[in-house]
Amino acid sequence: MAEERTPLQGGNPGWAGETGEYGHLTEADVRGTTYVGKRPPEGTSPGASCSYPYQVGGGRPDAPLFEGPYRERLDKILSRYPNRQGALLPVLALAQEIRGHLSPESMAEVAAALGLAPAYVRGVATFYTMYHKRPVGEHLVQVCTNVACNLCGADEVLRAFLAATGTEPGQISADGQYTVIEAECLGACGFPTAVQVNDRYFENVSPEAVPAILERLAQEAAARSSAAARQGS
Amino acid sequence: MAYPYRDEREVRILSAHFGDPEARTLAGWRQRGGYEALGQALALSPEQVTEIVKNSALRGRGGAGFPTGLKWSFLRNDGRPHYVLVNSDESEPGAFKDRELCRWTPHQLLEGALINAYAIRAQHVYIYMRGEFFEPAQIVARAIDEAYAAGIAGPDVLGSGVTIDVTLHLGAGAYICGEETALMNSLEGRRGQPRVKPPFPAVFGAFGQPTNINNVETLCTVPHIIRNGADWWRSIGTDKSTGTKLFNMSGHLVRRGNFEFPLGFNMKELIYDVCGGIRDGRSLKAVIPGGSSVPMLAAHELDIPCAYERVATAGSKLGTASMIVMDDRTDIVKQVRRMVEFYAHESCGQCTPCREGTAWLARIMRRIEAGQGTEADLALLVDLGKNMTGTTICVLSDSAAAPVLSSLAKFKDEYLALIGRAAPVAAAV
Repeated sequence: MAEERTPLQGGNPGWAGETGEYGHLTEADVRGTTYVGKRPPEGTSPGASCSYPYQVGGGRPDAPLFEGPYRERLDKILSRYPNRQGALLPVLALAQEIRGHLSPESMAEVAAALGLAPAYVRGVATFYTMYHKRPVGEHLVQVCTNVACNLCGADEVLRAFLAATGTEPGQISADGQYTVIEAECLGACGFPTAVQVNDRYFENVSPEAVPAILERLAQEAAARSSAAARQGS
Repeated sequence: MAYPYRDEREVRILSAHFGDPEARTLAGWRQRGGYEALGQALALSPEQVTEIVKNSALRGRGGAGFPTGLKWSFLRNDGRPHYVLVNSDESEPGAFKDRELCRWTPHQLLEGALINAYAIRAQHVYIYMRGEFFEPAQIVARAIDEAYAAGIAGPDVLGSGVTIDVTLHLGAGAYICGEETALMNSLEGRRGQPRVKPPFPAVFGAFGQPTNINNVETLCTVPHIIRNGADWWRSIGTDKSTGTKLFNMSGHLVRRGNFEFPLGFNMKELIYDVCGGIRDGRSLKAVIPGGSSVPMLAAHELDIPCAYERVATAGSKLGTASMIVMDDRTDIVKQVRRMVEFYAHESCGQCTPCREGTAWLARIMRRIEAGQGTEADLALLVDLGKNMTGTTICVLSDSAAAPVLSSLAKFKDEYLALIGRAAPVAAAV
């Protein structure tokens, strides 16, 4: 198998960050992707993988909620809490995974599924930043600009992403691919600037690394859609 | 081995297997002695396990430094359902240790959490991880699956007859959920607003039941203490700050990352020797020693041992030992403004001093940064900061005031220089 490792140059690896004295590690080693393996849509055990969402773009706003494998995940989630309200955060995340964002209608459906008042669910959902109340691009790019990253040039990284995607913060790019936002501390302060794109962190990101990261994301998206086309044919 | 750099002076206990992908797996973890401590604990009574942790004088690694064993001992054998919550909501600017522990050694965390659950007679562990930690969450989820399949979690833990379930619960983006009672509300499907204490979690915690909540790093130390004994842990560190600690080093350092040292290690040595000093041959201006919520220290204040009691004497706090190091080019006013904006964004809005205070601090800081501040603004910042300290349900408000007050005390010149640039007020009169 070809080495997945990208050579480290000037703090600009474009993937999981500076490996320092651990240069032998591959991207898969650092991210743990081999260990994690593939997860079926219905999740595996109720204790673990049912409760976290797939954070990938491409939700369908008109898709039905909680059918098929999603119904299985909903039931597994419910089995882990002493009451239905306890399941609210993971179920909101599940709804967002299916539809891409949480419209008032989606929140009302979640409320109905859990026996809660729609206004209550909206009150909770609007408290948390990771629930998108409006659609976002296929790739949600979150650039940490808090102090530890800021000291190391995070503002320039944010500007580079905005310029390269031709967007203002929070906007969806013309091709529907990108939404770039400023994020609060992502908890990767030793690897500035930390950037989260959907389910992955990109670390030690410099403004110069931005085109290469976007190129990689575009290539991956193209590979995903051609795989989907093959499956469909 | 700390990650991504190591130093020969380190004492590597928690971080011994960072950077080793094999240690992530159940088989690899067992080869490295994993789950022996859980077996040892299950052979003791819950009270005996708590006693060992108490005797180790381990202090909670989430920032407050509260004695862990004492906290465990608050729970009674009362027949009510008990819960263990793992606080993996790491979002204090500067802190990045729990993420490393979760992604490199998920079974270390699970083992500590299971021992914790046994010691307080909890049948359910919730690991509350911040939603952004999607990659570590997948790793921890895989470890939970492995633990269930191997009979380490679930209805009959290691054949002991004890039931301990483990559930991974992801947050959804709110700094305040790292506060223990806000975390409980969030777990229950509410807004993450801190609760008034008392009642304390040991009496009325998650879902209204007795609850014990511990930080990831705290729980990761527990298996080592059970295996090697309380005396061993107490032989490391200082009298009041026992054992080792992960130091999360960020900012303008030559070598950034996590390093594990006994508490009491000299801060200056840590910054200048272990981390190689300041990048680009610059000099040091300021250090925030324990995450953005603690007062900053100036360059001449760093010759102190990194122990809870000693950093407190120096006028700051060790907190999470997350050190943000700033070089001489740093614009202190800009960085304080950025921190204050963070707290304003993250305030849950319950208490007036915090809701209003953080917003006003941010507004005044922006005004000063833009060169439109006046000297009266500086007095106003101090006044606001003092009114925000010790006046609210949780300490987010105090945390927002800390960088403002400490920077005004230590780097007032930088504020005055910006005010000096402003158009003379008198001209308008």
